[in-house]
Amino acid sequence: MKRARAIQLLRTGNAGLALILLVAIVALAIANPAFLTSFNLYVVLTSVALWTCVALAQMTTLSTGQMSLSVGSLGGLVAIVVGGLCELWGVPLPLAIAAGLAVGFAGGFLNGILIATTGINSFIITLATFSAFHGLTMGLTRAIPFYHMPASLKALGNARFGAVPLMLGIVLVVALVVDLIFQRTRIGRYMLAYGGNATSAVLSGLSTRKVVIFAHTMSGLLSAIAAILTVGRLQIAQPTIGEDWLIISFAAPIIGGASLTGGYVSVTGTLLALALLAVINDALVLLGVDPFWVQVVLGGLILAVVSVNRLREGRRLGEAIAR
Amino acid sequence: MTSIDAAPSRRRYLPAWATRPEIGLVVIIVLMIAIFSVTAPGFLSPFNTFAVARDLAVAIVLGYAMMVVLAVGGMNLAVGSIGVCVAMATAGLQAAGVPAILSVACGVAAGAALGGVNGVLVVRTGLSSFMITLATMSIYFGAMLLLSGAEAIRDLDPGFIYFGRARIAGVLPVMFLVAVVVAIALTYFYRATALGRQTLFTGANPKAAELSGVPVVRTVVLAHALSGLLAGVAAIMLTARTGAGVPSMAGQIGRDWLLPAFIAPVLGGSALAGGSVAIVGTFLGATLVAVLGSGLRMVNIGDFWIELFLGIILAIAVIADRARALWSSGDRGQ
Repeated sequence: MKRARAIQLLRTGNAGLALILLVAIVALAIANPAFLTSFNLYVVLTSVALWTCVALAQMTTLSTGQMSLSVGSLGGLVAIVVGGLCELWGVPLPLAIAAGLAVGFAGGFLNGILIATTGINSFIITLATFSAFHGLTMGLTRAIPFYHMPASLKALGNARFGAVPLMLGIVLVVALVVDLIFQRTRIGRYMLAYGGNATSAVLSGLSTRKVVIFAHTMSGLLSAIAAILTVGRLQIAQPTIGEDWLIISFAAPIIGGASLTGGYVSVTGTLLALALLAVINDALVLLGVDPFWVQVVLGGLILAVVSVNRLREGRRLGEAIAR
Repeated sequence: MTSIDAAPSRRRYLPAWATRPEIGLVVIIVLMIAIFSVTAPGFLSPFNTFAVARDLAVAIVLGYAMMVVLAVGGMNLAVGSIGVCVAMATAGLQAAGVPAILSVACGVAAGAALGGVNGVLVVRTGLSSFMITLATMSIYFGAMLLLSGAEAIRDLDPGFIYFGRARIAGVLPVMFLVAVVVAIALTYFYRATALGRQTLFTGANPKAAELSGVPVVRTVVLAHALSGLLAGVAAIMLTARTGAGVPSMAGQIGRDWLLPAFIAPVLGGSALAGGSVAIVGTFLGATLVAVLGSGLRMVNIGDFWIELFLGIILAIAVIADRARALWSSGDRGQ
């Protein structure tokens, strides 16, 4: 029994990830005690909070075996819509946030309906909308940020309780909701079922249209939340928000155990992966390593984790040789 | 996501050639040139023709860099990263006094090597090329930043810069000839060589290819190496045009090259699933994008909006292609 449970734990991978995270934290705390200062922990937790919804947005599309390249550019569009409404038209913040969420909803819905209706690969459709959303953002702003954000939005992004940013609380609630959707609701089960085996899901009477549209809409909403938090944190609505989301959006859910083919996602795993990435990032800074190493380490980590996952699945190597 | 085969059925309403994507592209390109030559004075001027053809040359080779991996059913997200690495290596060698020809040879070889690493990782791990190249695009870009210190290299060989500016008969850039030569070489490779045909076979059905004795591993590695090589050629052409090796030339981790790299082969009719290459189609796809971009710029639609148009065009093109495939096969799909 015990052995079976241990295997089960290893299989889901979260235990391994938590262990690596723990080792990294202890090692870093020993190497540089500055890691444990309240301010440094605040910085680390803030980056976790900022990335959480980005990663969950991609995780949601991955659950169905699809993907969205437009997570970042939709985020940028949401950011400038919120910023523009606040600065140019003096719209009250709650309304501006609602409008931002609506844009995220609409953008995700557009992706979903295009993919569900045409049956075209989600990669291609979201490559097109990635370009369209980014072009729209840049065209509307001419690449000039909105600087005058309401004080309440800035407070949202910068309030802290000791080492814990307020944003972390917000994203943990969001993560809990996402987790509940996948664990407890029918549509969540359907998304995973569709990802696990699209054909049998169709045969069992699932409305694939509904599932695909729901997943992309949910993803769009999560991008919007990520964008609004980022605006609050930066205190500026920059049109470039989202431009660096691509890699992290895939890296965190994949390191957290999700597979590109869908059928399995882990909110906990994704959060652990984000924490690990944030700690590694912080380590590079604290140990005075050239910040350019971040890219190399991130890429290397993705490679390492996906290879390990592959081995753990025990599938014959080279099975999907030409993919 | 059921796939619709391109296999032609008997119930066609139009002759086979008329439903080829190339014909549609030619019609649209001619229409656009006609419209812009009226609405945008100077669109057909020798200077603008030269400028468009020079950008186009880079875009065509970049499109081919993606097309060759699509042919084996893979993709290469690292084209931009590899491109920047090659550009910086080539520029760095020239700044160090290495002759231009030698620096270009080294750059191209480096591109092939980086692409080859992708290929080896794909076949050795059995992971999707999306995942592998997502990781390597970050690694290559980070390594490039570390080695170059993220600083542009400007002291290039004068002969190399001349190559970027040289023109024939006042309008035709010498660089365009490079793109044409690449197109001809690729056509020869896929049509006339055993390895080329085996590559397409691998893309169409890897299992069947392996069972019939095709060296599947070799063709996949080769496709990725070729992709890296072509990304390198595109980057060297862009460096010659710009007159400097610039670390930010393909944007953050090279992501700005993703859309142009995919849009040309996809517009040209290359299937993501592999098994086919559209060499003429990719050429025309890149041409459509270049003509549209230049025309929109000349009628004073800001650069920023062009990206929106490209996105919309890509969406319309793939949807139209889908509709045409359904329609011409007399099949409602699903």
